[in-house]
Amino acid sequence: MMNQSLSLPNNEENPTAPSGHSLLSLGRHLTLLIEKQAVIRNTWLLILLSVACIATLGIGTMPISPKDVIAVLFGHGNPMSQFIVQDLRLPRLLAALFTGAAFSLAGCLMQTMARNRLATPGIIGIDNAAMAFAVSSVVGMGVSLAPSAMALAGAATATALAFGLAGGSGTRGYRFIVAGIGIGAIAGAVTQLLLSQVSIDVANSAYPWTVGSLSARDPMMVKVLGIGLGICLVACLFLASQFALMPFSDQVITGLGANIKHIRITALVLCITLTGLAVAVAGPVGLVALVGPEIARVLARYRGIPLISSALTGALVMILADLFGRTILSPIELPVGIVTAVIGGPYLIWILVRRTSRTSL
Amino acid sequence: MTATSLQFKQTSEINNLARLGAERLTLKHGKTSIIENLDVSLPEGKVTAIVGPNGCGKSTLLNGLSRVHSPSSGVVLLDGKDIHSLPSKEVARRLALLPQDTLAPDGITIEELIRFGRHPHQSLLKQWAMDDQQAINYALNAADLEGLKNRLLDTLSGGQRQRAWIAMSIAQETPLLLLDEPTSALDLGHQIEVFELIRNLSRQGKTLAMVVHDLPSACRYSDHIIAMKKGEIITQGSPKEVMTKELVRELYGVECDLIPDPMTGSPILINMKRVRN
Repeated sequence: MMNQSLSLPNNEENPTAPSGHSLLSLGRHLTLLIEKQAVIRNTWLLILLSVACIATLGIGTMPISPKDVIAVLFGHGNPMSQFIVQDLRLPRLLAALFTGAAFSLAGCLMQTMARNRLATPGIIGIDNAAMAFAVSSVVGMGVSLAPSAMALAGAATATALAFGLAGGSGTRGYRFIVAGIGIGAIAGAVTQLLLSQVSIDVANSAYPWTVGSLSARDPMMVKVLGIGLGICLVACLFLASQFALMPFSDQVITGLGANIKHIRITALVLCITLTGLAVAVAGPVGLVALVGPEIARVLARYRGIPLISSALTGALVMILADLFGRTILSPIELPVGIVTAVIGGPYLIWILVRRTSRTSL
Repeated sequence: MTATSLQFKQTSEINNLARLGAERLTLKHGKTSIIENLDVSLPEGKVTAIVGPNGCGKSTLLNGLSRVHSPSSGVVLLDGKDIHSLPSKEVARRLALLPQDTLAPDGITIEELIRFGRHPHQSLLKQWAMDDQQAINYALNAADLEGLKNRLLDTLSGGQRQRAWIAMSIAQETPLLLLDEPTSALDLGHQIEVFELIRNLSRQGKTLAMVVHDLPSACRYSDHIIAMKKGEIITQGSPKEVMTKELVRELYGVECDLIPDPMTGSPILINMKRVRN
């Protein structure tokens, strides 16, 4: 059935890329494989995202035409449009863009690592813990660190607790999810307790965090999130080939020479960073972490691990959800957290009851 | 007398040549010792079959030798060096493992699965080279999968799927290959197909070790048998020397007679019946 000796082609010859890929060869020492489907998919998502951004910047009580929006973005346009787009709408758009991408990327990472679609940072309590810590910094419980730093600390604490309580059973299986759900419930209760102990004005200032809102967020925290997201995206590109091994069993991953502990810790650190910084901006809008990666997987036809696509779909979902919340009952604004819950809740139920549903990836 | 000393000499030579082995290896699951103070080495360029009853530590030993299971004490030596002191990627260029549990990513084709075998040879800046392409073509050819390379792994028969996994290990281009029950859950035809593939790999100079349940197949398709019971090696050697009625009784509590296969001479078990040990 085998054993024909293969005549080896000349080594100097360039290899042909495997099907579905393009080879980007820059000299002998740099050859990159690029998956054509992913490039096409992400280009489309970027185009959609740009359209959504321009629409969002134009829609509101003072409508601005797409042409004027683009003019403003390139530094032209009349002062009124400039003010509305740059000072009023752009900060909010950036907050939506960054938080959506961060939540969704974190969700995709954690689902991949746990090989379970339900394992998103929101479900295992990271969002709630980050919120509790951020709120505690605002209601002045003695600690006056910036909300970003506090949210990060909260995210890290929840993660450490969830895995500590799961007792070394690793990121596979349900134990850490169950532990995380408990931690999330406790953190939610702590937030409520904190808010009940302070004056109504202070509680009001912390309110956006508890429902998830993009209205008038601190530009500093948005900037921090933007930088964090950029670093995490670059890290994901570097680590993509290792993350791609995660659907295999631990033995196969080790057998192929990857350090599974190292991959898991890196992925967890990325999840904590992304979720913590995003919660500091928008509060726990964790359902984006469930919906974003799922759309990305459908677009990728359930092949591979669509990290970049997840970031893009998450941003898109967040922008559209915020636009919807802002316009549907105008002039009343629905916080984005409520809109995503209204979309994400039924979606979660649909995952659970769908006949062909699998919780594993 | 002469025969025995000659045999001994051969064995010790084999030991010197062994590329993968363990010294005073202790492997634990939690607090339970599965294997204690075990010395073992795999004869180079041969097929070694590890046999023994359920729970005797065969798979644990294989996992220990392939650095998946870290030793509590003792050392696993790959080319004379502690396997855990070597970079994992470097180990993966010398030693491939085919575990029993073979989960794969969804919607993956045969060719894509085999491409993962190149992971230890690739890096961030060198994602695809001529040798990757050659290794994959070679593996597809060796496992007779060329016609199936674009098929989805899920749509294959059990035997084809197992050949695809072995092809992934072949693409890894390692001199050593460890297989954990490569033929379990396969029907007779597919079992033979996989065993013949393993034999062929050994003819090309690979050192292979496999955990096998079926004793006649172990005898037929291996050069060296390691018989284990309760975490210890009770005997090892060529199938013809090692395989006796007494061994079968000791390992499995089964009384039987052994007759040589009229074609190959390898032992066949007949008249089997369960006895209490």
